[in-house]
Amino acid sequence: MRWLARLRMRVEMMFRRSRASGRLDDELRFHLEQQIAENIAAGMSADEARHAALRAFGNPAALRDQARETWSWNGVERVLQDIRFATRQIVRAPGFAVIAILTLGLGIGANTAVFTLTHALLLQTLPVRDPGELVRLAIDLSAIDKNGHDMPLNLPIIEAIQKQSRSFNDVFAWCVYEFPFRDGGVNSGIHGAIVSGNAFDSLGVRPAAGRLLTPADDQAGGGPDGLAAVISYRIWVSRYHADASVVGRHVIVTDHPVTIVGVAPAGFEGVIAAEHPDIYLPLEFQGILYGEPSKHTGERLWLDTFARLNPDVSRGQAAAEMSALFPKILDATLPPAIRHMPEVEKARFAVRPARTGWSKLRSQYTEPLLLLQLMVGAVLLICSANLSGLFLARASARRQEFAIRGALGAGRLRLMRQLFVECLMLALPGGLLGVGVAWASGPWILHMLGNVEAEEAISMRPNLAVLCVTIGCAVFCAVLFGMAPAWTAGNTSVEMALRSSNPRTSAGSAGLRNFFVPFQVALSLTLVVVAALLGTTVTRLLTEQSGYRTENVIFALTDFLRVPQKGEALVSLYRRMAERIEERPGVEQASVSAISPFLGWRWSDEFVAADNPKHATPVEAMENIITAHYFSALGVPILTGRDLDDSDADRNSCILSQAAARLYFPHTSALGKTLRSVIRRPRTGQPDTFHDYQIVGIARDTKYDSLRESPPPIVYLPLAAGENGQTNGGSNLFFVIHARSVAAATSAYKDTLHEMAPSSPEIPPVVFSESFRDSVARERLLSVLSGFFALLGLLLSGIGIYGLLAWNVTGRTTEIGVRMALGATRLKVFALVMRQVAGLLAIGVLAGGFAAFFAARSIRSFLFEVQPGNPWVFVLSSLTLVFVGLVAASLPARRAVSIDPMQALRTE
Amino acid sequence: MGKPSDLVQGTLDLLILKTLSTEARHGWAIAKRIQQLSREVLQVQQGSLYPALHRLEQQGWIKAKWAESETGRQAKFYSLTAAGRSQLEKETASWERLSGAINLIVQEG
Repeated sequence: MRWLARLRMRVEMMFRRSRASGRLDDELRFHLEQQIAENIAAGMSADEARHAALRAFGNPAALRDQARETWSWNGVERVLQDIRFATRQIVRAPGFAVIAILTLGLGIGANTAVFTLTHALLLQTLPVRDPGELVRLAIDLSAIDKNGHDMPLNLPIIEAIQKQSRSFNDVFAWCVYEFPFRDGGVNSGIHGAIVSGNAFDSLGVRPAAGRLLTPADDQAGGGPDGLAAVISYRIWVSRYHADASVVGRHVIVTDHPVTIVGVAPAGFEGVIAAEHPDIYLPLEFQGILYGEPSKHTGERLWLDTFARLNPDVSRGQAAAEMSALFPKILDATLPPAIRHMPEVEKARFAVRPARTGWSKLRSQYTEPLLLLQLMVGAVLLICSANLSGLFLARASARRQEFAIRGALGAGRLRLMRQLFVECLMLALPGGLLGVGVAWASGPWILHMLGNVEAEEAISMRPNLAVLCVTIGCAVFCAVLFGMAPAWTAGNTSVEMALRSSNPRTSAGSAGLRNFFVPFQVALSLTLVVVAALLGTTVTRLLTEQSGYRTENVIFALTDFLRVPQKGEALVSLYRRMAERIEERPGVEQASVSAISPFLGWRWSDEFVAADNPKHATPVEAMENIITAHYFSALGVPILTGRDLDDSDADRNSCILSQAAARLYFPHTSALGKTLRSVIRRPRTGQPDTFHDYQIVGIARDTKYDSLRESPPPIVYLPLAAGENGQTNGGSNLFFVIHARSVAAATSAYKDTLHEMAPSSPEIPPVVFSESFRDSVARERLLSVLSGFFALLGLLLSGIGIYGLLAWNVTGRTTEIGVRMALGATRLKVFALVMRQVAGLLAIGVLAGGFAAFFAARSIRSFLFEVQPGNPWVFVLSSLTLVFVGLVAASLPARRAVSIDPMQALRTE
Repeated sequence: MGKPSDLVQGTLDLLILKTLSTEARHGWAIAKRIQQLSREVLQVQQGSLYPALHRLEQQGWIKAKWAESETGRQAKFYSLTAAGRSQLEKETASWERLSGAINLIVQEG
């Protein structure tokens, strides 16, 4: 029953510590008395006997500690002791504690906030069965365009993969949609997803109520429950009060009755990061919405595709198998005209890891987030260096205390641990404050992503993973800023410290402290330079001439796939609606456009000058389909010629941008010439198709989809009927409306839509000035946050320099007093103090200059019209830093100047 | 530790258990007993004795009781527990194996 005895012992030691402690003293005293008695018996005097016994006994306090060391709970007890002691220390200097906690709160808060976003967008593992097995299947276009993203797949490709590949045991498809939703009185939009029937089963999620979608729901016309739908846990709770009777309820999604068959589990947000579907519909819904052929078309890539790897198959093997199968799959699924386009020929199949799902935001934000993560890391280092300096100064003030505790038997490790506990007790509240800071700033940071959907879907509430990182940051800081002081404390020489009357005069750690200021300055300078470069970039981008009027203009995207009008009638509907909008009060011009600039859409075709035999090779240009008044609505002047007219006479007219005119007609006027649109069909044996347009006007150059590029050649073609009952720009086009105000434009659009296309769902219009600004969202996020971090770095460096000098001046009061008594002028004393800081600043600026040089080169790809080595940026940043440093230093320097020599000498 | 008496690492526990195998003793008596039995060769320092006693007590090999000492003062008497007795046997056996092995080598040379 030894374990029982040990357990009893443990319990006893926990509850009867003070008694056991007294007993230990008794036991040791008994031993001492025995020794004294023996010494007396050996013939010593009582005093002699006592001294001899004590000498033999050694340090009783240390002995007691050693014995206690063997007790259970001893570690816990000593930590409690340390915490009690640290609390006393902190309460004794509350100002210091407040500065430390605030500093850490800002530093850790910045880290937590950025990491929350990084985690939500890049790192969060999907809450599904074995997420590590999941892969995303996509078409990789990086061989064509280095910024090319992965493209999704479509049903024929997915079916071919299912049939031919042996690597995957489940392939499922996913497509995010926005649906109009009606349920009784509720009539709103709803985020949704169309998913293949096997998706939920493959993911291994279980319903919170009812059932999830199954392959049976993918049948034409719906499955056993008609058109089945699964709703999210979120709306189940918020709209249906978690009532299980919601199963079987009929709701209207885009004018089609569907049956709610179940509820997805709590916390499940699908496989697309930064999206949160509230309704999941079977793939069949696509067919019902847009006609059965739209489901099976091979021309459009619309399904984000995921799969589970078979147990023994690695991702590399799956990728190898797929790249062998891919050409055959393309042969079988693509129309020949598309199959042999150069883009398609160069496309590769990609099997990407999908443990964390996928998001299109990732291609845009991965690098910026990593950059921000590095910057907040630097801020944290500055914080730690700052506190390290302050702590070191305080530690040297406490040298006497450490010496006394050392003399009383505290071991070196014990002293160091004590200091670490103190640091932790500042760092953990700092971390807590940091979580608060992150919480408060989260929505603001998220807003700067400039993506409404992501803003709704991403939760900036710190979760467990984020909290772990925060606590990690706090502990890391504590270790970092506690290291130097703890080392010095452990090194304290008892005798030296006790002998010196004023411990401050012999601060042995000045060298170490002097290291922290240049370190902070260097890091801050790097941050300031990076922030200045990014800030310049955003300013340059936003003041860059886009060529458009952006104020009071909206772009309203239609959803006309299901309006009854087809072909010519659809074209006529668009024209009539634009005219009707123009008649409404407050509206200046209204037009139709297939493309909205700066929304990231590109549309290009190949053209050639028909009547110029020398330039016979077709060349690519950007393209847009428009109706009359497009240019006046956007404030783009037509330099020569005229605007398009919405009459049939203008069916074959076109307008070129200046750049396009120069490209196709380099030495002559383009006006009146003929431009031939060429749709090439190489290798198929079919002849290329031509369409000739007569150039009736030249418009001033504008940007197309990015502010970074110089104005590309743009060809504007008139709206006309196209294939499959659509227009030549597809069925969904934009109305471009310029009005007295955005509100007037929006209401004119809505009224006209309800009047002339009542069956069509309403999509909120895009305010052009916002999409213009949001097109630089990435740069804006980077520049605002980096600017903030740079400010933080400057502030902390200032505090660091102030702290060091204030300490120094106090320590040198006597010396300065003597100097002044001996005739040193105030100016000389001021210079004496400033000289020290100037030296530290110089080292910091030099080191920071080097660091910033490399940092600036590594962010080259984010910059626009500013060179990473821009001397102005470097000089101004350095001057800013020097200025902050000197201002921070001047406060203690002025104190030094005002030292009264008499007073200073008398206190010595 | 004192110069003549450096104990072989880990043998102090064995010595304490052995000393207690005949009767309960207090710390002073244990130190004296070891010194006496080893003919003054081994001297146990307080700095090692008391931590060792408390460790053995925590492990349940010895138990302590406060009782009157021979001088009439209260002292903490340690005695072996059943677990301590079997531990003593184990440690004795392993010591004999170790010392025997060392002897073999030393005498061979």
